[in-house]
Amino acid sequence: MSTQALRFALVGNPNCGKTSIFNRLTGARAKVANYPGVTVERRTGPVSGTSTPANLVDLPGTYSLHVSSLDEKVARDIILGQMAGEAPPDVLIAVVDATNLRLGLRLVLELEKLGRPMILALNQADAAERRGIKIDTEGLAEAIGIPVVETVAIRRHGLKALREAIDQASTRYQGTKAEVISDAGASRKESVESLYQRIEQITAAHVIAPPDKITWQDKLDRFVMHPIAGLIALFMVLLLIFQAVFAWAAPIMDLIDGSFGTLSEWVAATLPDGILKDFLADGLIAGVGGVLVFLPQIIILFFFILLLEDSGYLTRAAFLLDRPMRGVGLSGRSFIPLLSSFACAVPGIMATRTVPDPRERIIAIMVAPLMTCSARLPVYTLIIAAFIPDQKVWGIFNLQGLTLFALYIAGIVSAALAAWLLRLRHTREEFPLLLELPAFRWPSPYHLLIGLRERTWVFLRRVGTIILALSIVLWALSSFPAPPADATGAAIEYSFAGQLGRLMQPLFEPMGFTWQMCIALIPAMAAREVAISALATVYAVGGETFEQALGQTLGQSWGLPVALAYLAWFVYAPQCLATIAVVRRETNSRSATAFFTFYLFALAYVAAVITYQVSSWLLS
Amino acid sequence: MTSSSTSTDSGASAQIKSTRSLDQCRKGETLRITELLAQPAFGEHDEEVTLRLKELGFLPGVTMMVLGYGFLGRDPLAVKIAGTKFALRRTEASKIAVATAEAQA
Repeated sequence: MSTQALRFALVGNPNCGKTSIFNRLTGARAKVANYPGVTVERRTGPVSGTSTPANLVDLPGTYSLHVSSLDEKVARDIILGQMAGEAPPDVLIAVVDATNLRLGLRLVLELEKLGRPMILALNQADAAERRGIKIDTEGLAEAIGIPVVETVAIRRHGLKALREAIDQASTRYQGTKAEVISDAGASRKESVESLYQRIEQITAAHVIAPPDKITWQDKLDRFVMHPIAGLIALFMVLLLIFQAVFAWAAPIMDLIDGSFGTLSEWVAATLPDGILKDFLADGLIAGVGGVLVFLPQIIILFFFILLLEDSGYLTRAAFLLDRPMRGVGLSGRSFIPLLSSFACAVPGIMATRTVPDPRERIIAIMVAPLMTCSARLPVYTLIIAAFIPDQKVWGIFNLQGLTLFALYIAGIVSAALAAWLLRLRHTREEFPLLLELPAFRWPSPYHLLIGLRERTWVFLRRVGTIILALSIVLWALSSFPAPPADATGAAIEYSFAGQLGRLMQPLFEPMGFTWQMCIALIPAMAAREVAISALATVYAVGGETFEQALGQTLGQSWGLPVALAYLAWFVYAPQCLATIAVVRRETNSRSATAFFTFYLFALAYVAAVITYQVSSWLLS
Repeated sequence: MTSSSTSTDSGASAQIKSTRSLDQCRKGETLRITELLAQPAFGEHDEEVTLRLKELGFLPGVTMMVLGYGFLGRDPLAVKIAGTKFALRRTEASKIAVATAEAQA
């Protein structure tokens, strides 16, 4: 008896609980990658708890084989077997939300026409039961001609029947080879109207549903979707998230920062002087540690995003913000990617995949880095603490806090303006919103954990590859060539980075930047906050209270206009190669990446010059 | 000035009233879809939008309820159709011709 593992593919509408079923079936053994050429996530893994081996792939949510977004196209291509490098699936597992049968069944009936073996999983069977919906699964199975099982993905043992059905299918279709289905084979022979007529017949015969009544769901919606109350609620939720990201993460970030510092000191103390020691302590540990520090903030932000997403709230936020965001050429769908960009633009830009309108997606990618990411915070706080007096404004506000707030607002307003201008380049053709507002539900801790682990891995993998490589390159630039024996200044002054900084300085003259500031901009390309350690190096400050000491040094050697111009530069400059790299990958276009880099540097330059000139004139 | 938009063509206001499109309806109304209309604003994609609307269940004869609006220009609007809630912009809603249905739910 051969036990060739068959390939099962999970297909279903967005929000039907497909990914929850995937997580339950594969447990901790799933792999997340990207499909080659497109940046839609590919989740695969072996199914656990079945007697025959089976492999599972989770497809992006889709309403139809007649696709309208990148996600839906990937789902269609895999179902048909047309995706390059992907074998066609042997068996489809169609997931339908039992509380939302009609919409799900339409896709099932469309898929059934393809002739692939299929299992129908009626998910959220518990919620349907609570609402008094009774489904005759055997009758349904007979009417459609495929096995039908009930599932409760949020419960540990809620997938027993599905595992059995997978076993049966594995035995039954063992040895048959799944064929590629051509476009002609997938073309429709039945109109939408007649499909829905069949659904009416099927549900009339096999489903008993009580009349729709006003539930707590509707009452909650009346509040959270209210034009005023809902907006206030959304604002409070966002405030809570930001509070959590910045306040709760601080102790863990200090811990990570501290341990990398200790590690670096230990390396410095243990290894003999030389290039290896410098490389490990200043290049590798400092570079990787400088980015890893942001992991707690990213985890907390994603925790809230996953929580709000799973509960169904984020689509309500998209609903509320659609109109205002459309004013600048975006839509409510871009809200989530832009929100993520406040932690880090990299996951934010990756999240734009869910935006169906390709033009809107490009705009969202272009403006995402203008959202103040957490890497800018250390730079902002250092300069604000050194230059802005700690005094009260109008009795209640703190001037330093207000400055920080103004920097955030400057980013958001600039993003809105940039989006609006970018939209002018395109014809203003409408693109439908057509957003399903899924039922509210309690998020399951199990799925939150799996989702968080996945995000963390994606981030850590980036740190381990791109960011690691960049840290090495930038360390080399800042370390070679070594200073001459009779050197008086800091070593970095004699390096390539130092020479480059001096070379750059005339260009930065109109904004008052010194050559030291220019040098610091180069290693800051790895991660913005590295600018601080670079400034510390060139100004040769060190010791325990190094941040304070650096602040004092800067306060003595820079004027206020220069400091403000430096802040303005950091609001705009694409000071992070990881972001540029991810833009290149997500747009798959060299010209778009070049435009992205150029326009942000140009904005940074202009903003810094204006800030410097205007504030010099005001203060003189 | 919110109600003035219902009579864009003053000459045939009685006609317009009996065949409204969804974007002209008020919160809380229960409506029956009569027809899906063309909307030139979608350009060459208009047929695809019509198809997607149908696939999502916006078919003639189906009833739905207007749940509410976004906060600027009463846009987008939220409807509940066959137990599922959707958000549509006014442009999409203008493709859906409706008639007042007996209030049921």
